[in-house]
Amino acid sequence: MNGVSAIFYRDYRQRMTNIGFVFWDLLAPLAYLTLFGVGFERMMGTAPVVSGESFGYTAFLVPGVLGMVTFSVAMNTSWGFFMDKESGIFYEMLTYPITRPQILIGKIGFNVLLALLGSVLVVVLGRVALQVPVRWDLLPVQSVVIVIATSGWFFLFSTFAIALNRMDAFNTVTSAAYILLMFFSSMFYPLDDVPAWFRFLAYLNPMTWQVDLLRFAVLGVGTLRVLLMEAAALVAFAAVCLGFAVRTLNRAN
Amino acid sequence: MTNAIEVEDLRKSYVSKAAAAVTALDGVSFTVPAGHIYGLLGPNGAGKSTTVKILGTIASSTSGHARIFGFDVARASLDARRRMAVVLQQTASENLLTIQDNLLIYAYLHGVSRHDARQRVKHVAEEFEIGARLNDTVQELSLGTKRRIQVAKIFMLDTPLIILDEATTGMDPLMKRRVMERLRLEAREGRTILLTTQVLSEAEELCETIMILDKGRTMASGTLQELRKRSAQIFRVSLSFADSTVNLEGLLGSLNAAELQVKGRNAEMVIHGEQASLLAKLAEISRTVTIQRFEVRGPTLEEIFMNLVEESR
Repeated sequence: MNGVSAIFYRDYRQRMTNIGFVFWDLLAPLAYLTLFGVGFERMMGTAPVVSGESFGYTAFLVPGVLGMVTFSVAMNTSWGFFMDKESGIFYEMLTYPITRPQILIGKIGFNVLLALLGSVLVVVLGRVALQVPVRWDLLPVQSVVIVIATSGWFFLFSTFAIALNRMDAFNTVTSAAYILLMFFSSMFYPLDDVPAWFRFLAYLNPMTWQVDLLRFAVLGVGTLRVLLMEAAALVAFAAVCLGFAVRTLNRAN
Repeated sequence: MTNAIEVEDLRKSYVSKAAAAVTALDGVSFTVPAGHIYGLLGPNGAGKSTTVKILGTIASSTSGHARIFGFDVARASLDARRRMAVVLQQTASENLLTIQDNLLIYAYLHGVSRHDARQRVKHVAEEFEIGARLNDTVQELSLGTKRRIQVAKIFMLDTPLIILDEATTGMDPLMKRRVMERLRLEAREGRTILLTTQVLSEAEELCETIMILDKGRTMASGTLQELRKRSAQIFRVSLSFADSTVNLEGLLGSLNAAELQVKGRNAEMVIHGEQASLLAKLAEISRTVTIQRFEVRGPTLEEIFMNLVEESR
């Protein structure tokens, strides 16, 4: 077994010791989509417009919920570093004949699969139960975005999880990130009608890049030039975060 | 002969927010030939664990070099890690997984094939008496058993170098003995072992070469015989007297013993000084009271260690 697959296997075994947690990762987004999507759609009455096309709020929200899936899976996986530190295995692992990037990539590997499964469940629920006009032909694009985004968020949060010694400090960071990154993005509302300063901040946010790409992958909407820039930015974000996480692992002790 | 470990002028300073920079290692150098058992001894804060962390590529040195089978731990860390198995001072186990998964995953992470790993689990489980508990979750185990599994893991591998940082702490005496016997066997078969310990009898029994560290500096190093020579002016003296009514504390006062224990007609002492002067004083005592038996030995490792540490303070 090579390093990445051995770490992948380890994380799979770890995650399978708590099936309830896995189910929660998969079911929470479905609950968000059903409750928020249906609830807000009825309440708002008007449909959001993206790139000149109008959709029901539930359809608009599906890519946002996919963003939540990647974010939650990445956050929960990076939190695992605290368990590893507490058990001492984190430090022992640094003596194993595997590279630091292999540790990070192996660790997110199994959890990326979970994120992909979660995203498929969201899309299937959206199409079958909530009549979202899903573009099945763009499913591969959706999968690629889910993989890159989950990895990117994981590398970002891992940097904090490795560097911080206190779990409460990490929880503060992730809670703040959760609020700021989700609400300063195109996750819950179109950015066309928000104030200019808000839109400026939102376009600096990787969550916006991810949700816009997912909105294209699910509904087929968006401007190609903007989407290409956002795709490049998302890949760069993941690569830079991997670099930071590796650097932090190298300075872990 | 190839050197398994080469450490040259290794220094490590930590910058602390609360205090001035702390020097954990201050120019430590040593070489461990392949197939040897080498012991690092020292009190808490001596720099033993820092040395292990640098060799294990967990921490970086401030300056100096450390090489494992010729591979620099800073510049060729992966090559260095491929050649060693490390037991850290801190307990390290996958608490949510079973003992079997702990052993298997450790082997997989060191590149052992699935088939070989499963075969080795059987042998290791038998040797470390955990065969009946392979499916127990580690978090249910006692600290001593967790430590046993941590040490058992290294025998899932064939790495040419084993590094153990106070590995037998918390183990029961029988298991400790078994681990020591196994380490001796591994060394005979060509594996190199570097161990740190505060249990001096363990080092005395196991190590071919010993280095004593204190406050990040080398106090002494060499074989046990060489260290004894270095502390040639320390003697452990045992005396048995014929007469049980004599006040031995008073009688032996002239020897200025660093330690004196009297039990009935017997006295045990640790004396610092010239051998000739000691023998002259013993002869003088024997003229007053009959000495039935006397024995003068060189110092134990503990006495050498205490002497060196006290000298440095």
